[in-house]
Amino acid sequence: MRLPPAILIVLGVVLVPVFAQDHQHPMEPASGPAGKITPVGPAVLANASSQPRTVEVTLTAAPTQVSLLPGRMTAVYAYNGRVPGPTLEAREGDRVVIHFKNDLPEPTTVHWHGLHIPASSDGSPYDPILPGRQHDYVFTLQRGSAGTYWYHPHPDHITGGQIGRGLFGTIVVRPEQDPLPAMREQLLVIADKRMTADGAIEWPDPKSLQGGIDEENGREGNVIFVNGEVTPTIAIRSGETQRWRILNASASRVYRLALAGHTFVHVGSDGGLFEKPVEVKEILIANSERVELLVRGTGAPGSRVALQALPYDRYAPPTRPKDWDTTRDLLTLQYSNDAPTAPVAIPDRLRAIPSLDPAKATAHRVITFGQGMINGRKMDMARIDVRARLGATEIWTIENVVAMDHPFHLHGFQFQVLDRNGVPEPFVSWKDSVNVPKHETVRLIVKFDDYPGKWMFHCHILDHEDHGMMGVLEVR
Amino acid sequence: MRRWTLPLCALLGVSFWAGTATTRAAADRAQAQAASAQVALGRQIVISHACGECHGGGDNPAADGWLQGVKSPAMEIKMGPNLVMRPKNLTPDNTTGIGRLTERQIFNALRYGLRPEDTPDVDITGTTPGKGNFPEHPHYLSPVMPWSAWRFMTDAEIKAIAAYLKRGLKPVVNKVADSDGPPDFWASEVTPEKIGPYPAAKFPTVNEQGGSR
Repeated sequence: MRLPPAILIVLGVVLVPVFAQDHQHPMEPASGPAGKITPVGPAVLANASSQPRTVEVTLTAAPTQVSLLPGRMTAVYAYNGRVPGPTLEAREGDRVVIHFKNDLPEPTTVHWHGLHIPASSDGSPYDPILPGRQHDYVFTLQRGSAGTYWYHPHPDHITGGQIGRGLFGTIVVRPEQDPLPAMREQLLVIADKRMTADGAIEWPDPKSLQGGIDEENGREGNVIFVNGEVTPTIAIRSGETQRWRILNASASRVYRLALAGHTFVHVGSDGGLFEKPVEVKEILIANSERVELLVRGTGAPGSRVALQALPYDRYAPPTRPKDWDTTRDLLTLQYSNDAPTAPVAIPDRLRAIPSLDPAKATAHRVITFGQGMINGRKMDMARIDVRARLGATEIWTIENVVAMDHPFHLHGFQFQVLDRNGVPEPFVSWKDSVNVPKHETVRLIVKFDDYPGKWMFHCHILDHEDHGMMGVLEVR
Repeated sequence: MRRWTLPLCALLGVSFWAGTATTRAAADRAQAQAASAQVALGRQIVISHACGECHGGGDNPAADGWLQGVKSPAMEIKMGPNLVMRPKNLTPDNTTGIGRLTERQIFNALRYGLRPEDTPDVDITGTTPGKGNFPEHPHYLSPVMPWSAWRFMTDAEIKAIAAYLKRGLKPVVNKVADSDGPPDFWASEVTPEKIGPYPAAKFPTVNEQGGSR
């Protein structure tokens, strides 16, 4: 059947918004507890494709107003009108097509943080999408890449401002067969913002003292949001085990997470699950890192407990904030009044991760983090800082010679940490971001097995990245 | 004729090579002498300018802790409440000393007072923030470090100090805790009113005599 173009256009106008509607994250109804249970979890990007193994979504970055604090509207930049942006859900092996539109008044890109995809799809500063322009990001998710990733802008010099105004979302890549039993999942995106009393996001003059401190420390907010809400409540039933995927989308804050009276079962990191679960009392999550935790509901029915951010000193003494040692509540875990349920069995073994062999490394490099620069240099897009051969295995020593923590992020390739200050990493895992504490050294091993091109490596404190603490790796 | 060609060429080649080698060896030797003279000059300046009084070892390069930074609380300098200065390890250890700083960064520290680990490794041609590679937000060394006097040394003298620290000292691992300071990293202390102009006023000033006025 041939339809006249005008009818097609009309159909398109009618149908596209229907298909493009993002779905609220499915939540089981909370049973029993008194008090308001906030539905937690960003919306999921609607898949418009009817093809098998294909996820086709529409993503638009635009200025808008959302309510972040009760009764007040905040001018933000948002993906599809939401902060955080809707979650991209897909499976290993899926072909993903993102129809992206930049409705911002400035250039942007979308960087698929942690995914091993071609450089041309990486959304690096080399490929800006100008205001009003559209771009299709197309890539295929690698087998074995199941895990939690995120997407955010990465334009030259203005990334911090765009993420800080609300442009960030999560990517959940699901495996063919999940080694963990089915359980309730919570996606928690932690991001702080500096809010004024009238609900605006505050941006100080870069030349002011506060501007200088922000450049030094990275911008910190006075309000810490979880999924765009202040201390939301999550429901749990006594005996239940939940799977939490946590993303630190903050510009600079590092969170030391703890849940009083509970331990976490740490099952995964940036690049997916570990080989074995690890029981921990607390967990450190630097900006841009992700963790996967199992939270076992060992509390009594009807009780409640706060997920807290304990003090963590990432600062140089001169600019360390006065309230740096304050413990903050991030969310409330509210037990229902239901009788305890039988705990689910957590497998001892999750998957096999082949260790990259240091004996096969053909290059050893030292990446020195100064304050706001790498190897004594500020970022220059016209300069290649590191040239690596396609297929090569390399060992990178990330040395931090200054008084402040700097989280290192490498685009496009997952790596394995070998040791920290000479202490061997206790177990193997896939990482794309690793915190390098003040005056410490982290050695990592990486294989440039695929995808030639230019890749960024940088400090993920957004103000540092924007001020040039970034380098260019060319794989060829 | 033909059978002479090859040996002749070889002979010429060898003598040419030998000549080049001699010249190169001489150049290398001269360079090494210049380098060691530079290090020796740096050593002499470091001793005579009392670097070791704060950074360790006093005026004696053979002393324990020579330029290795704070090794005991007695070496800390208290400038006021919450303003404790801890002189750094100046030996070329990579992570606890100055091993990863270039001689140019050390030069910029002594000439402009810029904290080397906070300042890119570039030639700086002015002192106006944001111009001539001078940082937009300069971070200065603590005021107890007398760079504001030592900046008047000649380029060669400052380069000699950097050469001595980087190439004339053995690296020693000594992690010194970071100094406290104001959030502006002493920028409020580094103004022409407080530290005077650079370069110094032309000789002779009203206080001076002599020369060829």
